[in-house]
Amino acid sequence: MDVKKRGIAFYFKIYFKIITQDIKSRMSYRADFVISTLGMIATNIVGFAAFWLMFSKFPNINGWGYYEMLFLYGFSLISITPTQCLLDNNWNLRRYVFDGDFVKYCFRPINLFFYYESEVFDIKGLGQLAFGIGTICYSWHHLAIPVTFMAIVKLVVFLSTASLFMMAMQNAAAATCFWIENSFYILDLSLKLKDYAKYPVTIYNTVFRFLFTFLLPVAFIAYYPSLVILRPDEVPILSWLSPVIGVLFFYLSYKMWMRGASRYDGSGS
Amino acid sequence: MEKMIELKNITKEFKVLNRREGLKGSFQDLFSRDYKIIRAVDDISLSVGQGEIVGFLGPNGAGKSTTIKMMTGVLEPTSGELMVNGRIPYKNRTANSQEIGVVFGQRSQLWWALPLIESFKLLKDIYQIPQKDYDDMMELYGGLVNFEEILHKPVRQMSLGQRTLSDILAAFLHNPKVVFLDEPTIGLDVAMKSKIRELILELNKQKNTTVILTTHDMGDVDALCERIVIIDKGKMLYDNDIRHLRQFFGSYRTLKIRPNEDMDVVEEHLEKELARMDVRISHDEEWISILINEEQIKVLNVLKKVQEKHEIRDMQLEEISTEDVIKKIYREGV
Repeated sequence: MDVKKRGIAFYFKIYFKIITQDIKSRMSYRADFVISTLGMIATNIVGFAAFWLMFSKFPNINGWGYYEMLFLYGFSLISITPTQCLLDNNWNLRRYVFDGDFVKYCFRPINLFFYYESEVFDIKGLGQLAFGIGTICYSWHHLAIPVTFMAIVKLVVFLSTASLFMMAMQNAAAATCFWIENSFYILDLSLKLKDYAKYPVTIYNTVFRFLFTFLLPVAFIAYYPSLVILRPDEVPILSWLSPVIGVLFFYLSYKMWMRGASRYDGSGS
Repeated sequence: MEKMIELKNITKEFKVLNRREGLKGSFQDLFSRDYKIIRAVDDISLSVGQGEIVGFLGPNGAGKSTTIKMMTGVLEPTSGELMVNGRIPYKNRTANSQEIGVVFGQRSQLWWALPLIESFKLLKDIYQIPQKDYDDMMELYGGLVNFEEILHKPVRQMSLGQRTLSDILAAFLHNPKVVFLDEPTIGLDVAMKSKIRELILELNKQKNTTVILTTHDMGDVDALCERIVIIDKGKMLYDNDIRHLRQFFGSYRTLKIRPNEDMDVVEEHLEKELARMDVRISHDEEWISILINEEQIKVLNVLKKVQEKHEIRDMQLEEISTEDVIKKIYREGV
């Protein structure tokens, strides 16, 4: 049989086919779909309510106004969307590895990470994306930032950057299960950390600021990339570097994941 | 015959932490470097030709699955040489996967939520199966199994038997050179077992696919395997065709008789009569059993000796079964 090299186009095609099928079959469980969508909407509304409550007490946080904070909030919602939609199967990884079921993913002639993650596409993430886009448009309008072509390009580039950091953090956290038996807390921590992403890193004390910038890339999920749009006159060098660092972080997390998988010996049979 | 699989002195060792007991022990474990080495597969050499069906037998934990995992490229051997279809499996995992099929009993590799036909279409894309080959294969499958029953059913709604059947069809779909089946009939009812066996046999015949299977089920062995490999504690105990194995023990038969007289009297008489022969005599409440090595004395001769003195009400003659043979090997070696 003639096997062509499997390039990017091949993977896109396969991915598209898998998720169309997956979504189709998911829709057929209507109650499940409706309830989980309602849950997602409720979660977001509660998030906004908390945000609004906080601002009704403090009109200004460390020099950041309401709409700027709202922008940051929307930014973080969008940047976690790819993680939620594309990498949701990372949450099951620990169970698969622990039970020895992970071995069933190891026999396909395609990239293991891709094959594993393609199994689940969490469509609810798209709802969150809609919330995020709405929030950004709304706050953008109120901040009266000029809508230029360059501004849109910057927004897209830096949103992608931010989502790379979130994906990297979650990948690395999930991959710890290849080494550690009880890795759930690490994965859970990575999810909790994202809650800190929606605030400007300057509100934290020096220790956390250092931690969130240089050890856990929390500040890169929204703060540093969004400065490029929000405060174009005072963009720190870290913001401009974030696309490169983002790609690097994602690559390292992918390597870690793959390394863990190759270490896996399919215990239990 | 073309060589498909070649193992030379394959050994696989695992490093296992020596765990300590109790809470204090688990804290010590955190910093412990106290590992022991477990040898799961010990110096196995083996060569399998194209189109062969080889059954791997052995008790749980014998090293069968580990050997299969090495052949599929999931595990790297600690030492030894391993070639499958001219490749080193763990070094060319992707290329190797293209030409093998794997079924791990009870761990479906199909998309759980999708109807079988959609899974097949995805596999067609993933393995880049040409349309014509795909159509031919579907036609072949249509003739072998009741397709309509399963084709449009999501895998999650299938019975275990249908799922196993589907997994086997999926494993053969890209016409691989070798198919590995790990306990393919586990947990199935008798009718389904025989259906699965027929399917495997037919696909092997039609496509000349090499099949490696592990099983605990003697029915699988009798129906499918011309050649068996017995592994215990990581070591290979036996590798030959099954006829040879039966022949080897096949000279043994058990003659069971039910005399009219008192059992003890008959048994005593026989003991004396056959004292110099390789026979073993025992009795329960109903039968006197005489295990006879036919290379020394024929069953009919024994029967004649009995009939000279005693009247026989009923008799049975039993072949030694494959299961008995394998039990004998586990216990005593070849």
